[in-house]
Amino acid sequence: MIARTVQHLVVKNGVVATVSLSEDEGIGVRVIASGAWGFAATDRLDPQGVEDAARRAVRIARASARVNPQPVKLAPLAGATGEYRTPIVRDPFAVSLDDKVDVLLRADAGMARVSGVTVRESSLEFVREERFFASSEGSRVAQTIIESGGGMDVMATSDNEVQTRSFPNSFGRHQLCAGWEAIEAFDLPGNAERLGNEAVALLTAERCPAGVMTVILDGTQAALQVHESCGHPTELDRVLGSEAAFAGMSFLTPELLGSFRYGSEMVTMTADATRETGLGTFGWDDEGVPAQRTVLVDQGLFTGYMSSRETAAVLGQESNGTMRGDGWSRLPIIRMTNVNLEPGTSSLEQMIATTEHGVYLETNRSWSIDDVRLNFQFGTQNAWEIVNGERTRLVRNALYSGRTPEFWRSCDAVAGPSEWRMWGVVNCGKGQPTQLMHVGHGAAPCRFRDVRVEPAG
Amino acid sequence: MPLPRRPGGTGGVTPRSRDELLSAADAVLTHATGDGAEATAVASELELTRYAASIIHQNVAETGLRLRARLIADNRVGVAEVRGEASGSAARVAAAAEDARRLSAREDVAPLPAPDGGDDAPVAFSEATAAASPEARADMVGAVTRLAAAQGLRAYGFVSTQTTGTALVNTRGLRRAATSTQASMVALVRGDNGSGYAARHSPDVESIDVEGLATEAVDTCMRNQNAHSVEPGRFEVVLSPYAVADLLGHLSWVGFSALAKQEQRSFMRLGEKLMSDTVTIADDCREPQLFPYPFDDEGVSTRVVNLVDRGVCESFVYDTPTALRDGVESTGHSLPQPNTWGPFPRHMHMAGGDRTVDELVGAVKRGLYITRFWYVRDVHPLRTIITGMTRDGTFLIEDGKLSAPVNDLRFTQSIVDALADVRGVSRDRLLELEEGETGVLSPWLHLGHFAFTS
Repeated sequence: MIARTVQHLVVKNGVVATVSLSEDEGIGVRVIASGAWGFAATDRLDPQGVEDAARRAVRIARASARVNPQPVKLAPLAGATGEYRTPIVRDPFAVSLDDKVDVLLRADAGMARVSGVTVRESSLEFVREERFFASSEGSRVAQTIIESGGGMDVMATSDNEVQTRSFPNSFGRHQLCAGWEAIEAFDLPGNAERLGNEAVALLTAERCPAGVMTVILDGTQAALQVHESCGHPTELDRVLGSEAAFAGMSFLTPELLGSFRYGSEMVTMTADATRETGLGTFGWDDEGVPAQRTVLVDQGLFTGYMSSRETAAVLGQESNGTMRGDGWSRLPIIRMTNVNLEPGTSSLEQMIATTEHGVYLETNRSWSIDDVRLNFQFGTQNAWEIVNGERTRLVRNALYSGRTPEFWRSCDAVAGPSEWRMWGVVNCGKGQPTQLMHVGHGAAPCRFRDVRVEPAG
Repeated sequence: MPLPRRPGGTGGVTPRSRDELLSAADAVLTHATGDGAEATAVASELELTRYAASIIHQNVAETGLRLRARLIADNRVGVAEVRGEASGSAARVAAAAEDARRLSAREDVAPLPAPDGGDDAPVAFSEATAAASPEARADMVGAVTRLAAAQGLRAYGFVSTQTTGTALVNTRGLRRAATSTQASMVALVRGDNGSGYAARHSPDVESIDVEGLATEAVDTCMRNQNAHSVEPGRFEVVLSPYAVADLLGHLSWVGFSALAKQEQRSFMRLGEKLMSDTVTIADDCREPQLFPYPFDDEGVSTRVVNLVDRGVCESFVYDTPTALRDGVESTGHSLPQPNTWGPFPRHMHMAGGDRTVDELVGAVKRGLYITRFWYVRDVHPLRTIITGMTRDGTFLIEDGKLSAPVNDLRFTQSIVDALADVRGVSRDRLLELEEGETGVLSPWLHLGHFAFTS
């Protein structure tokens, strides 16, 4: 059972465009009957409503059994009991709407000071979820998850160009499992005018050069690269075909586990539901499996998947706790928790200084990858050409492309802990009916050699 | 029109009647204060049976009532939404909206629309879809998996049935209500070295030709085994409607909205011919081959809008705020207000032509036939440049015939540029859901060029 409260505020072009509050409460019942799965969800929380949902789930399961030749098998799990609450400093729901709107209006004013800006938008979002999970195997867990997020998008246009700059991350906002202190740390007003200047500058920047060259990704773009090229292909349900008709499958098939060279020795990636402030941080997943850390790629070697009780059983393993449903009405499926590129020992300054020719890419603008997570193309908002160890001119419409293992094998530097940050992705889509999940990615700037780069358009 | 109860029952919830939905919305209005208020009640019932490797692995149902309140007073707007059937929901949502309104800043607020005399019809509704049972959906899946198994193949996909009842009222006397249904089935069939895809969508689950769907997916799969690589480059292409729907969906997102025009980011230049003569795209909420629906999320009756007429940019779609800015009337394409995305077409179709699919293919000396696109994203919205992959059936065309299957390719292509070089349009059209899950009715298209980059 989940009760979710969301507060969303938007200021657009100086006007408070949206102040909205939403509440959503209901229960989802998942059963195995006649050896097959059934799930039914309702917002009726009276005893009859809940009983009706349970009966419906059983009927649905028995209908599934008409087609299925074999019963579902689950990896074992001891029932769990306990409580978890997101650690926060200041409850964002206790902060007045006046104070929140003031942050956005000050951010808007900063962007408005820049001549040439045509559209400016800033937003805040706060989420509180009360989650209660119980199972016939003895689990009883209660969790309170708090999220705080915000961001700015500023657009500048000319006759043949539209350029957008976003902060702290693209497509609306950055979000963390944290309190109001996260919003204060973003400092939207303090970055607003700079953002507007950058958008206008991009209108007249030269086109990104084309060629095979060195690419350095900022932390936000590295986070998205990790999401698309490691997070998704290590979801074990995808590997086993659950998403084949929609989100696709994975090139990381089980016989590669433990032997496939996914990346260089600089590359270690983990799925970690215990990492502070990550959007994928909790106490237990939606099967009652405790939050834990799994190494997916260990110094370049492919070593792990994200699993559920059913998929782990196929490999003779135990679940590592990544079943998450988008609210009470959606079936839990394997989702990323916090999939992180672990910090290295380099620095952005050092990477630039030791690059003869390349580009430093900041903030995602477009993204696309094939259905097994190999062939990708990404575009970024900002790109800086690097020549002989110096960051030189701003260039626009940068695209880079490649194939996942070749790309990660070309990684020769990852910045260290002081430049590593946890980033939030709020629009990860998967499943049918579609579910949007909030997931975390810790990442630092990182460098890749011999990457194809070109301008868009 | 009162809705009949489902025969036999599904163990779920009967769709609420028109009167019950209007009553739920009215209950919110009774708690609203201030100059103006709008209340929406949406009762939804969704059931989806999903299968992979010929096994039903996920089988779900959800039912719920959502209440929404938009309050306007003193030039301030507040919105709240409550989902859940707890007692007092109507009062709670009105109070939350008032809290939001009180604390928002003063601004120029677009007025609530007045009644426009439109009918709450036609609406895509089927009693069979509303009454569909989990057993019936399982049997539909079984039919697909058996056909696939007969060829040694495995089947993946889903079948869904959905009923949505909506009532929208406001303090200017507007009262709209409608209940619609949607049924969808997707089949992706896989062999050891390739796959094939097919999809069908309709308001009526009983009109879905399951055997036809399965046969199409199986046939494509059988032809798509052991694909080989081709060198990327520019090719003539024949696109199936599954692929064309993605092109039209992306055109819509980047350019058909009046807000895109007002923010100077639309490719559309009204009166200018940007595409071939054979390209006519309209938004028609009454088109029976789509999902007819009479009003938008403000309760304004949706009008037919000709977006592109014989290659010429003709019109944008409007909601109340964008219409006020341009001094025109809303075309009834609003999303829930207020929003920052603007209006959108949700009943798009492209006009058919005069060719058969065989004739389109027959006119290509060397090119590619594309079944489907995947993971399409906007790279340069103003120039309508998109990127994505082909998927589930890409074939060489040589001397007017489909020949060998080829490995999937990445494309990076301007949609408008591609639609400026249309060589042929099929007479037949097919309904597909684009990525935003609205229906798009498209023909097959023969395009003179399409750029594949890897």
